[in-house]
Amino acid sequence: MIRLSKVSLHLGKSDQAASVQFELPHFEAKAGELVALTGPSVCGKSTLLNLISGLRRSEEGEVVVSGVNLKNLTPAELDRHRGANCGMIFQTFHLLAPFTATENVAVGLRFGARNHKNPNQMAVEVLNRVGLGDRLDACPDQLSVGQRQRVAIARAIAGDAPILLADEPTGSLDPQTGWEIFTLLKEIAEEDNRTLLLVTHDPAMAENMPKSFDCSELVGPAKNTLVEEVSAS
Amino acid sequence: MNFLVMAWRYLKFRWLVSLLTVLGISIGVALVCAVLALRHESERALSRDAGLYDLVAGGKGSPLQLVLSSVYHLDSPTGNLPYKVYERLRRDSRVLWAAPVGLGDNYSGYRIVGTEKHFFELPKRNGDPFFQFSKGKAFDDRFEVVLGSQVAESSKLNIGDTFFGTHGLVEVPGAEVHRDFPYRVSGILSPTGTAQDRAIFGTLKSVWEIHETEDLLHSAIQGSAIMAKDKTKETTAILIRLKTPGLRLWMADEIREGTDGIASVPINEIMRFQQGIIGPVQQILLAVAGAVVGVSCLTVLITLHQAAERRRRDIAILRSLGAFPREVATLVFSEGVLLTAAGILLGLLIGHGGLALAVGPFREATGLLLDAWQFPRSELLAVLTMAGCGAIASLFPAISCYKNTPIQDLQLSE
Repeated sequence: MIRLSKVSLHLGKSDQAASVQFELPHFEAKAGELVALTGPSVCGKSTLLNLISGLRRSEEGEVVVSGVNLKNLTPAELDRHRGANCGMIFQTFHLLAPFTATENVAVGLRFGARNHKNPNQMAVEVLNRVGLGDRLDACPDQLSVGQRQRVAIARAIAGDAPILLADEPTGSLDPQTGWEIFTLLKEIAEEDNRTLLLVTHDPAMAENMPKSFDCSELVGPAKNTLVEEVSAS
Repeated sequence: MNFLVMAWRYLKFRWLVSLLTVLGISIGVALVCAVLALRHESERALSRDAGLYDLVAGGKGSPLQLVLSSVYHLDSPTGNLPYKVYERLRRDSRVLWAAPVGLGDNYSGYRIVGTEKHFFELPKRNGDPFFQFSKGKAFDDRFEVVLGSQVAESSKLNIGDTFFGTHGLVEVPGAEVHRDFPYRVSGILSPTGTAQDRAIFGTLKSVWEIHETEDLLHSAIQGSAIMAKDKTKETTAILIRLKTPGLRLWMADEIREGTDGIASVPINEIMRFQQGIIGPVQQILLAVAGAVVGVSCLTVLITLHQAAERRRRDIAILRSLGAFPREVATLVFSEGVLLTAAGILLGLLIGHGGLALAVGPFREATGLLLDAWQFPRSELLAVLTMAGCGAIASLFPAISCYKNTPIQDLQLSE
């Protein structure tokens, strides 16, 4: 389902001296697999998700998702891949302020490859599924943080994407709400047989996932910087 | 939810900025539309009057002044011509219609025009009669008068009512009222949309009688005694329609050479007046309005750019959901188009609504009837140009959104 091998890319500013290198020898997740991505801050967990969603491109190596090497895709094809295969959930929810819960979910179905025929009906269905059936017409500022994250989850699963990429979805929530959200995500992924890659700093959550991947060693100084330092010495 | 609905929701979300932008555009559009519509309508209204007559003859003076005083009832007359000039012209085989104009008095600021009964037989260019009576009929007796529609409306005078004329062409406090010569209303004209609506038409004989009597005796005496003095008979101007309008300049030369007066072609004088005096003023107004529109378009550009900057995160979210760059660009462009369209529609409403409010006072002042809801071609062209400017202004932030990489904007908020 997902396979990354010998992937590397520069991160940070274009100024080589200030940039760091992302190096991933190998990563694999099968269809329906639930994987916790762990590691300290700025270790490359989000970059791994962005590589899979096509928001970032690798400079070297292969990123294969659903049998397609993303390196060969045009920007438009990457957009299509993201819309069709990936449901993204962020730490800060990333909801659209002017729109209601239903509309926030429906908007996700309106664009790109999803282009659902009846987005509103689908939005109501998934919001009911995440327990927000009574908050359909509430705007983000009328929802609690936990409810906002439920809307974000509803938006991610509405498009029937086989892969859910959750970037610290409980990072902004209190422990109890965080655990509820984690449980909800896990249940949905298991019920639908979706692949779930969950970035978390919470060891308890990581332990509760069938599989865990440590990202601690993914990011280091850029190769060019090392070369320059060696030459200088 | 389509792009326009989404764009509308974003505009509604930041309603104050949207409203101010729309107002900025609408003020510019309103100015341009009002100036263009006013120019078009005033040209049309002025030409409607001037086109009624081929020539106007009068005493020596400014040809424009002659036209303004005798056709538009606006300026002072240039001087008088002997009545026999009129009689000679009326008999001329090339003349289709001619009528004398004798001025001297007013009623509540409306000029009392001394003329003859066949004045009301003035034909339109298509041959139909220009004047229609809404009530009553033309004067028979020398102190009977016919009221222009606007005079009847504002004075509330009706058939059979009487009033006194006041000396002078404009209403001046303390001016001499001719109390010995009451006028009686015999007819009221239908609106013509010309300066004739704000005139009172009586017999030329009554004008002579009042003034000669006032001059000689300062009391009411019988008019027949004055009528006998044919050599003193004069007319302020003569309005002429020719059988062949192409003879205008030839006839004008003839009148100039054969009399002590002048003859002018109203339409030529009015065109010259518009080009020489009204035109430059309108050009300045247009330039100001154009600058306002330019600033408004710049406001659209700045507003949309700022909106797009504020919404970089939202755009990135849409991209992360799989939205294509062209889709988010269309969304931002739609916002600009909605702002511009709302500004233009509101501007048209303000511009023409303002003009509609000015129709009454303008008619009161000049007698010219403007149609506030006419959309001249020049205005449509200006509106299209402004719409184009708005669209171009909307393109810049749209292109910026098209080019932005979502990953940077998603990270910005984290």
